[in-house]
Amino acid sequence: MKVLKKTLLLAAVGGSLFATTASAEQINLTWQMWTGSEADTKGWQHLADMVNAKYPDIKVTLTTTGWVDYWTRLPVLAASGQLADIVSMQSLRMPNFYSLLEPLNDRIAADKFDVGAFTPSIIGGMSVDKQLYGLPYDVGPWVVYYNRDALEAAGIPLPKPGWTLAEFSDVAKKLTKDGKYGFGITPQNYSVLAAAWGDKYVNDAGELDLTNPSAIAAADRVIGFAAKDKIAPLVPSSADVGTFIQGRFNSGNVAMYVDGPWSIIGMKDKAKFKIGLTTLPREDDKDLAAVTAGSGFGIATTSKNKDAAWKAIQVLTSPEALQYLAEQGRALPARSASQSSWYKVAAKDITNGGEALDYSLAHSVPYVITNNWAAVENLFNQYFPPAFGGSADAKQTMESIQSLAQQ
Amino acid sequence: MSESAVAEITLQTGQPRRLLKPETQTAMLFLLPSFLGFMIFMALPILASLALSFTNWQLLKTPSFVGFQNYIKLFAVDPAFYTVLGNTLFFAVEYLALNIIVSLTLAVWISSLKRCKAIFRVIFFLPTFTPTIAASVVWLLIFTPGGLADNVIRWLGLGLPNFLLSSSWAMQAVVLVTLWANVGYNVVMFNAALDLVPKHYLEAAMIDGAGPWRRFWRIRLPLISPTVFFATVMTAITSLQVFDEIFAMTRGGPGSATATLGFAIYQKGFTNFQMGYASALAWVMFVMIMGLTILQFHMQRKWVHYDD
Repeated sequence: MKVLKKTLLLAAVGGSLFATTASAEQINLTWQMWTGSEADTKGWQHLADMVNAKYPDIKVTLTTTGWVDYWTRLPVLAASGQLADIVSMQSLRMPNFYSLLEPLNDRIAADKFDVGAFTPSIIGGMSVDKQLYGLPYDVGPWVVYYNRDALEAAGIPLPKPGWTLAEFSDVAKKLTKDGKYGFGITPQNYSVLAAAWGDKYVNDAGELDLTNPSAIAAADRVIGFAAKDKIAPLVPSSADVGTFIQGRFNSGNVAMYVDGPWSIIGMKDKAKFKIGLTTLPREDDKDLAAVTAGSGFGIATTSKNKDAAWKAIQVLTSPEALQYLAEQGRALPARSASQSSWYKVAAKDITNGGEALDYSLAHSVPYVITNNWAAVENLFNQYFPPAFGGSADAKQTMESIQSLAQQ
Repeated sequence: MSESAVAEITLQTGQPRRLLKPETQTAMLFLLPSFLGFMIFMALPILASLALSFTNWQLLKTPSFVGFQNYIKLFAVDPAFYTVLGNTLFFAVEYLALNIIVSLTLAVWISSLKRCKAIFRVIFFLPTFTPTIAASVVWLLIFTPGGLADNVIRWLGLGLPNFLLSSSWAMQAVVLVTLWANVGYNVVMFNAALDLVPKHYLEAAMIDGAGPWRRFWRIRLPLISPTVFFATVMTAITSLQVFDEIFAMTRGGPGSATATLGFAIYQKGFTNFQMGYASALAWVMFVMIMGLTILQFHMQRKWVHYDD
């Protein structure tokens, strides 16, 4: 009995010593992330715990904020030196904020980390000047959502991925009747559609170039949907035209509109009809170039534990983590191999969802934007609506935006 | 020696040389929290914005001193500035005039009622409880192309374009919504002032044969002129700062038809990350408001009657 007691005592002392040693080496990392709901937060917490499970000496503490607040807080936190070790970043905002993040190319090369496992367009989206600043967890090409019931009622065959602009216009015209519109367009759709058609609105030097003939031709087509063909409703230059058009789609007022796969989850309960997905229309004689957006995790340049943060973001974007997110229906995984699990969960009730996304991803390109893109999008928002209404042409619209964007 | 003993000694020895009366000291003690709040959250940021207006601060990098460059750019380079300035003044003048006329008319009408005064005061004051952003979103849906406003305009045969798509009409939509949202304050204030006008003045005027119009111009309006003055100054200040309605309803559009100083400050600072430039814009707005307020105080000598 005495021997047992002594053994237990020794074990306890040993255990506590071990525990002390372990806690001394414990690395605490902070991670700032946006969230949309409690379920969303639980998902991110699960990922944080996955880091701790793989590396018991690394503990990740998650802090979450709403999507809009996240982007207001980020520059303020950066300016006051309070960035977390792991900073979540969306590809469209990367050109604004990459200076806050640690370049990853050297670490990738040293660890032989397989970047090739990710969809190339989102690796491009998380990069600036060929330097990767974050590992992505999701990717989303813009696609066309359609009201399958409306198409079937009009006797129109369901559009196939890779359809042309002429086919698209024809369908949209047939669906425009009885006060309803075939297509819902927003000013922000300009760059997404221009890119899909192979038109350049940013020059090779990365500068905004909205007044070249190709950019103006694309604007003329986009404006024409509302101003000439009248297949799209007019929109005001208000805060969130995207939500506006999404609302009109959900209520059956517009039959097609442009959005990303991230909207599927929130949309299924709102629409009272069957939803289908297809690719953006391509130029009649060109291949589709579907731009993508997505998000991922970077390491703050101010972090004191960059090595541990590098280990952590590899876990956060590991096949297991992305599989988990896919099964939750949270995100279309940035890793190509995990994408089919998302189709099975999130896109299962969507007609041709997997097919449209597969085709788009196979034809995906990084979204080319300038480092003042938020300002440019604001100007799209201000100057496209009057053009949709017919009071300005494509050339005037693009000249105004180009000149004001440079101020 | 205990702390209280020290306090007693201090009090006793300090009494003859005390600079402030005990009640003044108490008042200052109670005012201290709001004074500190004012210093930390108002005075310091105001001074900081003045300093920042002489820098090029892109929020993520350290500010660099650029002298008067932001102000020079503002007045000499930026093609949008004079449009923004013009829009701001246009809005302020129209909104101020309409607000005072409408609120005064409503207040006079309410004070003339024999019953239900309180109900009408509440009705007109209700919109001021509504968060402006929420109200603006609802109005946005009303004004959206093909929305309720378009249908009403068509039904009335007015032949007007959609407000939010027309450069010349968009500001009218903003004025209308701002008026709807804020006119209640002045209605309640004017109504209270009108109720305080001594009845015997009005009765005497009636006996002398003065009609309602004459009684209003010669008796009621001069007697409530301090309230009208206060309301005019406050409304002028808020109208120059208009932001919420524009942010939610038009985002400065269509084109730059509704871009005002308040909106431009937000856009330059928080969308374009040009904090130095945004601060310079804020100081232009500050000078304008200060100038207007001084002018109004100067003018009040002519038309405000204090009942001394």
